[in-house]
Amino acid sequence: MALPSAQGDGPTSSRWDGGAEKTDFNAKRKKKVAEIYQALNSDPADVAALRRMAISEGGLLTDEIRQKVWPKLLNVNTSDPPPISGKDLRQVSKDYQQVLLDVRRSLRRFPPGMPEKQREGLQEELIDIILLILERNPQLHYYQGYHDIVVTFLLVVGEQLTTSLVEKLSTHHLRDFMDPTMDNTKHILNYLMPIIDQVNPELHDFMQSAEVGTIFALSWLITWFGHVLSDFRHVVRLYDFFLACHPLMPIYFAAVIVLYREQEVLDCDCDMASVHHLLSQIPQDLPYETLISRAGDLFVQFPPSELAREAAAQQQAEKTAASTFKDFELASAQQRPDTVLRQRFRGLLRPEDRTKDVLTKPRTNRFVKLAVMGLTVALGAAALAVVKSALEWAPKFQLQLFP
Amino acid sequence: MASEMESSLEASFSSSGAVSGASVFLPPARSRIFKIIVIGDSNVGKTCLTYRFCAGRFPDRTEATIGVDFRERAVEIDGERIKIQLWDTAGQERFRKSMVQHYYRNVHAVVFVYDMTNMASFHSLPSWIEECKQHLLASDIPRILVGNKCDLRSAIQVPTDLAQKFADTHSMPLFETSAKNPNDNDHVEAIFMTLAHKLKSHKPLMLSQPPDNGIILKPEPKPAVTCWC
Repeated sequence: MALPSAQGDGPTSSRWDGGAEKTDFNAKRKKKVAEIYQALNSDPADVAALRRMAISEGGLLTDEIRQKVWPKLLNVNTSDPPPISGKDLRQVSKDYQQVLLDVRRSLRRFPPGMPEKQREGLQEELIDIILLILERNPQLHYYQGYHDIVVTFLLVVGEQLTTSLVEKLSTHHLRDFMDPTMDNTKHILNYLMPIIDQVNPELHDFMQSAEVGTIFALSWLITWFGHVLSDFRHVVRLYDFFLACHPLMPIYFAAVIVLYREQEVLDCDCDMASVHHLLSQIPQDLPYETLISRAGDLFVQFPPSELAREAAAQQQAEKTAASTFKDFELASAQQRPDTVLRQRFRGLLRPEDRTKDVLTKPRTNRFVKLAVMGLTVALGAAALAVVKSALEWAPKFQLQLFP
Repeated sequence: MASEMESSLEASFSSSGAVSGASVFLPPARSRIFKIIVIGDSNVGKTCLTYRFCAGRFPDRTEATIGVDFRERAVEIDGERIKIQLWDTAGQERFRKSMVQHYYRNVHAVVFVYDMTNMASFHSLPSWIEECKQHLLASDIPRILVGNKCDLRSAIQVPTDLAQKFADTHSMPLFETSAKNPNDNDHVEAIFMTLAHKLKSHKPLMLSQPPDNGIILKPEPKPAVTCWC
């Protein structure tokens, strides 16, 4: 099964950023803004609806909206006082030197027209925020690229909120990247090739024989593409999407980019250097909305639980020092509930059944399901089943994020 | 130091006649590849050095390298077109352990870089050398030591004699240079070209198209790999 090309969007799908009729565009946008505010203003806020908005075309549209919605997506109470530290962290933090080096070199992350003074002020804030989060969470370890994530929040929501939001993100979505070693990060990267294999075995085999590895996608994954995209609007659009989704969604998005570039990859010399070079240079004009919806489709069709075994096998084949025991445990633990669920939902493809099912499910899961349904309505009940099992794969994300 | 380099260039030139002769009998379509990995602490200038060699200038601004970056440049040595691939690696320790090892495969030479204005980056060298030993199967892979940022004269912390002693202990040539100083353009160039010449006269290298079974090259010529020397 090959993904249709970007041109295959068809006349029925309108684009927020496309050249469609302007009035239509404005009307749709206005409607979406109204819907977002409605969800925000209901008591309690309709987080499921906000998730759908963050995923669906155009995402959350403006930074002003993001300032209000991102905390909801992360379940952060904005009226809580921001965390502070009594210590002079620059004196005592073991990470200060590395953070300083990385932040000083991160000029490209700031808007080109920003006055130097203002940028330098933000860089100082960036250092303090990172050190504060690290101090409050000694289990978290700084990695180069973490600063690319934090700066995105800083530029959108400002200093005070950034600390709370990124702290939450770091103990959930980014948790695996912040282990003492990168073994778990490597494990997540091992999902990439199995996803590609499901969609395009030819491309997969080509990349395998080139021995390209997966490091070309490392910075994509651990910075949520903040390190590699130069247009900040694209970065925040992706953050809307990732904040509303399962923590493994960035690896699906990475796969979708590789799949989108199929022809370029196959035209390349079949060796590690050529393929790595091609893929690590990310095109800046990707059709983001199309790719986002494809990533969602892939996630639903090939959920993490289904790929866990293959990812683990890949790890073994590479003879890394990673915890294969854990992989296999996960793979086998997921096998049964997943299969059972899929069989159970196979007969429930009629819309009324789907609705009923959503309503009878515990509240915790419903939020996520609705969000993904907003993304891929066509997949219906199958989506419910697989997303539920996907969450079981990483139960630690579930309760805290979707209360 | 300059004279040491020149003599090494000369030596390579004089010893490589047989190689060019042999290439006449082989299809010229594929150029050989020299794969060089560049390692060292964060912020010592690995990205700037490789950029300088491949693009011919100091980059406007560089960021932290996450994972591994790759640059290449085609050069001609004794009439033979050769691709020099530079693999620029992340400096932060956590990336080395589980991430970078894949990129040590089939490496022909190693460039260790330290920052002459940062003693800590010099003191890290033994651990980089150890790291490298663990990844590379062959022990006689050419290695060189580069002290970068020599243009920052007033801030130098690593004296040349100390660095030279260290280089001697580990049987590596030492180069002190600056990726930034425009007058040093030829120098950065010469460092990598010296290495390329050394490699050219040293041992067989892989072709552009690696064998499908992913053979890891060892210093001894293996029957599966075409030997042009």
